Amino acid sequence: MTRSAKRSARALSRPVTAVSELGDAITPAAAGNGSTPPSDGHRQAKPGRHREATLYHALAGAGAGDGRSLQQLREAALEAYDASELPVWRRSGFWTTSLQSLDLDALATQPSPPPDSVPQVVSRTLPDRPRAGRIVQSAGTVVHVELDAELAAKGVVLCSLQDAFDDHAELVAPWYSKRLAIDRNKLEAANAAFWTGGAFLHVPEGVAVEDPFEIVYAIDSPGVAQYGRTLVVGAPNSRFRVHEYDLAEDFEGQALHAGAFELYLQDGARCRLAQVQDWGAGEVFDVSTRFVGVGRDAHCHWLPSLLGGRLVRQHLELAVSEPGGDMAFRGLFFTEEHEHLDVFAVDLHETGPSGGDVHWRGAATGESRASFEGLIQIDPGAQQTHTYLQIHSMMLSPKARVDAIPSVLVSSDDVSASHGGTVGELDETAIFYMQTRGLDRPAAVRVIVEGFFEPLISELEDEPLQELVRAKVADKLAAAREDIEAYATSR
Amino acid sequence: MADLEIRDLHVRIEEREILKGVDLDISRGEIHALMGPNGSGKSTLASTLMGHPSYEITEGSITFKGEDITEAEPHERAKAGLFLAFQYPVSIPGVSVANFLRMAINAKREEPIQVKEFRNELQHAIELLDVDKTFTSRHLNDGFSGGEKKRAEILQMAMLTPDVAILDETDSGLDIDALRTVAEGVQRLHDEQGLGALIITHYQRILHYVKPQFVHILMDGRIVLEGGVELVERLEREGYDEIRQEVGASAVAAGDGGV
Repeated sequence: MTRSAKRSARALSRPVTAVSELGDAITPAAAGNGSTPPSDGHRQAKPGRHREATLYHALAGAGAGDGRSLQQLREAALEAYDASELPVWRRSGFWTTSLQSLDLDALATQPSPPPDSVPQVVSRTLPDRPRAGRIVQSAGTVVHVELDAELAAKGVVLCSLQDAFDDHAELVAPWYSKRLAIDRNKLEAANAAFWTGGAFLHVPEGVAVEDPFEIVYAIDSPGVAQYGRTLVVGAPNSRFRVHEYDLAEDFEGQALHAGAFELYLQDGARCRLAQVQDWGAGEVFDVSTRFVGVGRDAHCHWLPSLLGGRLVRQHLELAVSEPGGDMAFRGLFFTEEHEHLDVFAVDLHETGPSGGDVHWRGAATGESRASFEGLIQIDPGAQQTHTYLQIHSMMLSPKARVDAIPSVLVSSDDVSASHGGTVGELDETAIFYMQTRGLDRPAAVRVIVEGFFEPLISELEDEPLQELVRAKVADKLAAAREDIEAYATSR
Repeated sequence: MADLEIRDLHVRIEEREILKGVDLDISRGEIHALMGPNGSGKSTLASTLMGHPSYEITEGSITFKGEDITEAEPHERAKAGLFLAFQYPVSIPGVSVANFLRMAINAKREEPIQVKEFRNELQHAIELLDVDKTFTSRHLNDGFSGGEKKRAEILQMAMLTPDVAILDETDSGLDIDALRTVAEGVQRLHDEQGLGALIITHYQRILHYVKPQFVHILMDGRIVLEGGVELVERLEREGYDEIRQEVGASAVAAGDGGV
């Protein structure tokens, strides 16, 4: 794809931010681990100061969970919520992610009456396959919890986060919001203050589980603000899979999902974390923060598939926090129509030796906008860290736009960190080639796009999930058929 | 009536006329060689026959099996039984050779091909082309050597069983072993399936392995000389320059690229 190579040079050859010592781009409290109250955040949250959130920073450092009770944290978050406006994320010259069209006041945390069953969109979408357990939250209510009895006997816990605070406080309290902030913006604060239901998974030491734990957040009707909150802890040497689904019915009207997700892998734990997010055709806004902490010799393979939402802003941070930790941070996205996606993906190395490998792929059709910022951050003392970030994207219509900015912030000297990528359009030569073999244009485009995503989809190493993601990509391509045809004739 | 009839074909790309009135008839079971120096319009003819969108036909027509396909989409031509082996095959990352072949075969059929039937046909084609078994599970042309790409082209041709195949400089960049395999593959498809072929080439060497019945020489967008296999030998002896000098006068005299 010679055309894409040229494009990539333009989009990706921006000077890399390489900082030889700790610059002010790194948030404080890298030391201290919990001893520093998050007072700095309050400053950002003052009215009129929301633009401070426009700088893309890693969470880094300690979170809000510093020994305060859940109630105290909720109160602190509420204070931040009241004091702040809806956030705007701005990358000057590239994109602005603004929530101004969201009518937050019109949304309720719970529809009336509250949901009491698993929404259709969930039963329709989730593959029928063996699973270790499943928890489903609809709007603000957990409507379904199941856990394999043998696993329960081994000490595995899967329940709502609310119940976990009541029944398993000793497992929850040390980890809750350990690395997540609660006050960087109004919706983060809203989540921390207002969350109900939620999901908690604890996999005890040495327990290995082949089938996935499924965590589902569903929005069945408009007018809902869903504050999802997930905490997963993998005890030492545990092995497991987590599949999260974020789904909404195709309704007319607005809804919000403001999510907070944290996963901690203790020494030697291994987790494959996949997420399928498709908020359907309604006007669903999703502003979420996800943090994965990788402990000593632990490993995480993380692959979100971001497949739709009116406006989606994801802060995804994968941190190697102990020596020997390793991770593969993958992701794919596909935006269509008027969707707006803003991904901030952080590959954070707090100590060395550690390994990282970030690989994202995305496509855009219609008039959609996708913005990806990938940050490699290597903290002081994270010697012998080796990491690589690549982002490949494809624009499938003349009005679609994808921006990708990789950046590197290095504060250690014995490390290697690099990045690369491509921003491409459809390769007409490849389309013609396939047409001469009898495939019509839409089929040829589909082959290209599926082939483009395939390196990541195949990494899911889970046939039912792979089929689901492939089918969703195919559906989106079918929906964009006219658009893609128009693209061909416009050239 | 020939299966593929090209009449007075004029083609331009970006305002420049490349083909200036080409007439050519090709039928099943016939092997034609189209030879010509660089820039004579050989590849333009190949791409135009397959319906490449960048080439604009300003005059003339292409008829295939009695249907006018001058304006047909590339995939419609393929379904009708035309095939183009590319000079520079395009890599399709993420799609295995086998899966791609299955898609291409199914595109031509009402009912998808049975797994067993597909496997048998693939096995047969693999033997024909002397390729490794793992070849079909690799991504199409992705990281293939020049020889592998050309083999993959012939493999597709064998599986898709076209009536008439256009081979656009399939011999370029091949070592002698790969060249022989590819050429023998074409010859066998001709012998076994009655394939008609238009072998486009700059050089003569592929024609030592596939014997054409008809030879056409293209210069400056016109066919200036036609004959049998003896033309290849003559070209080998004399080169294009001598032929150009000889036909130059008569072509101008005939006004339309005389015979």
